[in-house]
Amino acid sequence: MSIEKGTLQIRNLSKSFTVDGNALQVLNNINLTFPAGSFISIVGSSGCGKTTLLRILLGLETNYEGDALLDGERIEGPGTNRGIVFQDHRLLPWLTVGENVAFGLDKQNRKAKKKIVDEHLKLVGLSGFESAYPAQLSGGMAQRVAIARALANKPEILLLDEPLGALDALTRMHMQKELERLWLLEKITMVMVTHDVDEAIYLSDIVVIMSSRPGIIKQIIKVPFPRPRDRASSEFSHIKAEILKEFHLGTEYPFAYAI
Amino acid sequence: MIKNSLKKLELKDKLLALIVPLLLLAAWQSAVSLELCSPLLLIPPLTLLDTLLYLADSGELTINIIASLNRVLVGFLIGGLSGFLLGLFMGLSPFLDRFAGPLIKASKQVPQFALMPLIILWFGVDELAKYVFIAIGAFYPMVFNTYQGVSTVSKRYRELARVFDYRGARFLTKVILPSAMPSIITGVRHSLGLSWMFVVGAEIFGADTGLGYMMAAARNMFQIDIVMAGLVVIGAIGFSINFILQVIEKRLLVWRFSSDQGASK
Ligand SMILES: Nc1ncnc2c1ncn2[C@@H]1O[C@H](COP(=O)(O)OP(=O)(O)O)[C@@H](O)[C@H]1O
Ligand SMILES: [Mg+2]
Repeated sequence: MSIEKGTLQIRNLSKSFTVDGNALQVLNNINLTFPAGSFISIVGSSGCGKTTLLRILLGLETNYEGDALLDGERIEGPGTNRGIVFQDHRLLPWLTVGENVAFGLDKQNRKAKKKIVDEHLKLVGLSGFESAYPAQLSGGMAQRVAIARALANKPEILLLDEPLGALDALTRMHMQKELERLWLLEKITMVMVTHDVDEAIYLSDIVVIMSSRPGIIKQIIKVPFPRPRDRASSEFSHIKAEILKEFHLGTEYPFAYAI
Repeated sequence: MIKNSLKKLELKDKLLALIVPLLLLAAWQSAVSLELCSPLLLIPPLTLLDTLLYLADSGELTINIIASLNRVLVGFLIGGLSGFLLGLFMGLSPFLDRFAGPLIKASKQVPQFALMPLIILWFGVDELAKYVFIAIGAFYPMVFNTYQGVSTVSKRYRELARVFDYRGARFLTKVILPSAMPSIITGVRHSLGLSWMFVVGAEIFGADTGLGYMMAAARNMFQIDIVMAGLVVIGAIGFSINFILQVIEKRLLVWRFSSDQGASK
């Protein structure tokens, strides 16, 4: 049986941390399947385990119950088939932009490296910035470099942990467009954690809603609209209402909490 | 605009910094002119300049400077390198840190000049004793600063290295050392600075070359001008070493000093 590259399957996944000698259950019995090439958003309140789930997929948390499978193989550690964009851009301040993008490319020779770096800086619209240092970049630019670095390794899936969380609203909407463009271009699976429901609907094929303590999957919502999506359309607000309802922020019981 | 006014400010600061030395110089000259103290204890500024020129001309100064610098170089290399290596390993290994850290911190409390008699007993009065003494001075700033830099490499960068499969020597040279570099350079600066102080100390204790020796010998013969000339030269060289290291630091840490040139956050 062959599985298309970039397929993620999560089966009965649970994770707990030991805090002061007590087990803290963070994820409880998560089951999800992400088809190759889809864009998935995970939304949920702070502390519900979104980052932990991404870290498991990335291979930084290896001690978990159940299975997280990439292309049918259990994830046991980091690998170059997965790219990550952390919430903080996490560029190395002592490397130039170009060197940061090349950070994961050790096995190639210099010429091949330079070509990949150039391509990916162009991809994120930062050609000509390769010799700048991260401290010289704006937040949006730094996050683009981080995306270029993650994509330079040609991963099968790209994990994004609130990648646009630190940006102002306008830069953010611009970057959402960019992310969509990159996703359409690269045709890889992208899993993005976000707090922003609009962002999730705008970008995703599937929105996964989590709730906390311990983190469980509350709802999985498919977004079947064509792209690019219109944030002002009625279908958009319809889905948005459906998602917000899951957070008890729907409009059906506007006075429920006021009483 | 801002850059220009910054430059003006810097210039102003520099001029202000000259006021106190100039006042001291004036006080010094008037103390001599008004014969407030014996010319045996304080010579006029111009005489000092004469002495400096004479010492430079006779070659005596060069010989002694080279002798001192030589000792500093050897002592610094021994002490600085062992401090660097120990600091590095302590920063990398919590076990070694618990094992050696407390002893190193405790031994730092002993004033290092108090070790001089012991060093002389153990190593004699030859060059070796001086190297050891300077090495001890160079050791401490290097071990502490290297340890500080290596042990505080952000967990975020360590994780990134794991994601990209950086291990062993590659992890050390591409992540740990660059991240610790600011601390390490601070260590080198302090370490060399102390080496320079310690060499003078060691030479005053007993030597037949070096700036410290030159001053000690002059004192025995009550040549106050040479004693003061020695002080000036020692200060100037110490200052230059620090200055050169600051220039190197700016070069090496260009990523730290470049933040003001680019786009704002
Ligand atoms: N390494 C850890 N050790 C102990 N507790 C942790 C650790 N990492 C995360 N947690 C806890 O797990 C919960 C979920 O964290 P996280 O996955 O970061 O949530 P989210 O990203 O959804 O805000 C939080 O309560 C957090 O304190
Ligand atoms: Mg998080």
